[in-house]
Amino acid sequence: MARALSLYVEADTFVQKLDPMVKLLYILIAILIPFVILPFRWVGAVFILLSCVLLLYAKVFPRVLPLLGFSFLILISIVIIQGLFMPGNKTPAVEIFGLTFYKEGLLYALTLCIRVLDVLLAFALLVLTTRPSDLIQSLVKRGLSPRFGYVLSSALQVIPQMMSQVDSIMDAQRSRGLETEGSLWVRLKAFIPLIGPVVMSSLLETRERAMALEVRGFSASGKKTFLYEREPLVLDKILQWALIASLVISLVARFTVL
Amino acid sequence: MKAVVVENLKYRYPSTERLALDSVSFEVEQGEFIGIIGKNLAGKSTLCEALVGLVPHFYKGAYGGRVVVDGVEVLSSDVSELARHIGIVFQNPFTQVTAAKLTVYEEVAFGLENFGFERSEMVDRIDYVLKLLGLYEYKDRNPFELSGGQMQRLAIASIIAMKPSIIVLDEPTSQLDPLGSEEVFKAVQSLSKEGITIIMVEQKMEKIAQYADKVMLMNEGRVIDFGAPEKVFSRSDLETYGVEPPVFTSIAKRLNIKDNDTGLYPVTLEQMRRLMISEPHRS
Amino acid sequence: MNLIEVNSVSFAYTEGVSVLKDVTFSLNEGSVAIIGQNGSGKTTLVKLLKALLKPNTGDILIKGVNTKETTAAKLAKTVGLVFQNPNDQIFKNKVLDEVMFGPLNIGQSVEEARENAIRALETVSLVDKKEENPYDLSLSERKLVSIASILSMSTDIVIFDEPTIAQDWWGKTKIKSIVRNLVDCGKLVITITHDMDFVGECFQRVIVLSKGELLLDGPTREVFSKEDVLRTAYLEPPYVTQLWRAMGYEGVLLSAEEFVKYYESRLPNS
Repeated sequence: MARALSLYVEADTFVQKLDPMVKLLYILIAILIPFVILPFRWVGAVFILLSCVLLLYAKVFPRVLPLLGFSFLILISIVIIQGLFMPGNKTPAVEIFGLTFYKEGLLYALTLCIRVLDVLLAFALLVLTTRPSDLIQSLVKRGLSPRFGYVLSSALQVIPQMMSQVDSIMDAQRSRGLETEGSLWVRLKAFIPLIGPVVMSSLLETRERAMALEVRGFSASGKKTFLYEREPLVLDKILQWALIASLVISLVARFTVL
Repeated sequence: MKAVVVENLKYRYPSTERLALDSVSFEVEQGEFIGIIGKNLAGKSTLCEALVGLVPHFYKGAYGGRVVVDGVEVLSSDVSELARHIGIVFQNPFTQVTAAKLTVYEEVAFGLENFGFERSEMVDRIDYVLKLLGLYEYKDRNPFELSGGQMQRLAIASIIAMKPSIIVLDEPTSQLDPLGSEEVFKAVQSLSKEGITIIMVEQKMEKIAQYADKVMLMNEGRVIDFGAPEKVFSRSDLETYGVEPPVFTSIAKRLNIKDNDTGLYPVTLEQMRRLMISEPHRS
Repeated sequence: MNLIEVNSVSFAYTEGVSVLKDVTFSLNEGSVAIIGQNGSGKTTLVKLLKALLKPNTGDILIKGVNTKETTAAKLAKTVGLVFQNPNDQIFKNKVLDEVMFGPLNIGQSVEEARENAIRALETVSLVDKKEENPYDLSLSERKLVSIASILSMSTDIVIFDEPTIAQDWWGKTKIKSIVRNLVDCGKLVITITHDMDFVGECFQRVIVLSKGELLLDGPTREVFSKEDVLRTAYLEPPYVTQLWRAMGYEGVLLSAEEFVKYYESRLPNS
């Protein structure tokens, strides 16, 4: 009950009011530029910084922290695996617990970590500052199948729901004698067998929900209308062109300077 | 034009052997309030699904016979188009929340948006149904913050907003407290008075007896009986079908108190009271 | 020593939104129904009894042990809770495994657990489905599996959260007989329910919650006679009681059998 029920965070900043398409464009740019066009670590870091600044300004940064915490596991494993075992490791950099980490692997791991964080934060920006219905609306207006739009936006609410179902199932397990309070290891041990049933039950619920959507005319032919129309901002166009400009500039930089 | 015409409907879910619906035939007049009763797995929910086209369009499976709803043949239409004529409210309120909307108000708008209603009409309809079901004060809440009973009423409101001429409800009050149940029945009855055809699966026999014009008893995919509540509940073989009549009828059967004109037992509190006060006899 | 003691318990999920206010009562063997409108605090109270939550103020003692000083898992031997939604409780992919989970956790051997699980499944008439995946069963069957999962643990206290929802007449009859058997074996059976007929037929004592406060606590007959108080909690007595009253008689009747008996005894001999 105390858990947040949607990922969207209401606040009175331009980020929330911005056209969701611009935020989607940002994600695209945040992937294209640092991954493909200008694949330098500092470029990725710039985007990470930019996303963080925007997340802070939009007052949603606290919500990102659990996400970061979760990805931390992935990042650490990247560092360990690449640092120790990447083929092409030659130059030893540091020794921990008798294991040798190599410079080449660590640098590569850094690149990967920056990329992971870059994408994660760009998505977080979209997800935490966009009302699901605004997102669907923009996409549908541009011709996207409403079905796809629905899948996107419902995922945003369904994930927190799944989390709270995990809570309920864990309560039930505790009631039947399985210790879930205590050390991290105990809690992890109790959590893992739950993943299967929670996903299973979510799938079943998804099916029921799909039926509920159909009987509310989801696949109806004819033009759809919207209860609330998002107010377009001047900033929408400005930022859209700014993002496109940055893409062009980076392309130019790529093919001339380099 | 009849609201619902079902002719020799047969249906089997995919990968099953048993017929879920077996030669079901009946008709429902416009504006009637029909209660469907029967033990679990008797085919009641399947029949509801067949009326709105989920059977066969969503579930696939083996289908035979004919279902015509508000003049539209189910087999040759699709669920979303049928939704303009017939709406359905399911048992689980939780999975009827679209999860794509952040407030109760927008949630009700979902169906209206799909059908392309003008905004002003949307607002009128949403206001009306929210007030009808006592949800207006919650209009800005996140649907998932509501209690189970409130969510159920939201599901009903969302369907009623689309103003179909027929509404099917599959055990809509199972998660509601007595007050909530009563509110739902009253709302449904007022819709019935406006001429909307109601088809409701229920286990609360006393309520069905009170509100329904006719009762359909189902068992193993078949329609066993279809008639006035007094007629169906007076049957002596209800137990074999896994059904108990309203408690008043059970008592009346034990005390052998029946209406001398019709030869049938009372099914509501009022009927029972009147019979007992006027003829305190036993034979 | 009482089996359960609830002393001036208050609880709020978020500050300022009080869900339970200063609730006090004690329970011993027998059957108790906790009734009240949705949102009156019933489920929260049950979670507090199970030490899934700890009271903000006040104490709950289960067989003398304060719930603040123990965990829900440790209490599992003593208090069994059947959740309202079986999907929140069931997580194994074989019915038998699901029903054995509890007994194994509280220290029974595999043979003991298996025996108890099978016996519990027999009680709910689902023994022939023991190798099946719970998700292939219907909702009402899953509810019965979740009940069996608790019965197999043979706890002194069994709590049911809305057991009769989604059950047909046969299922309800089964649950009523389970409750009666448990009481006959000396257990304490607590239920949260909306089903007044179920309460009237199977429960000796009724606690009424309204807006987080304890409104009434007493023998079933007594509580159901206080129609005005019940109405403030949006509750009504069972239909049988209503009929008896509608006919102008005094007193509270709780079941069809009682009605028939009393009515026949009032008739002049013919």
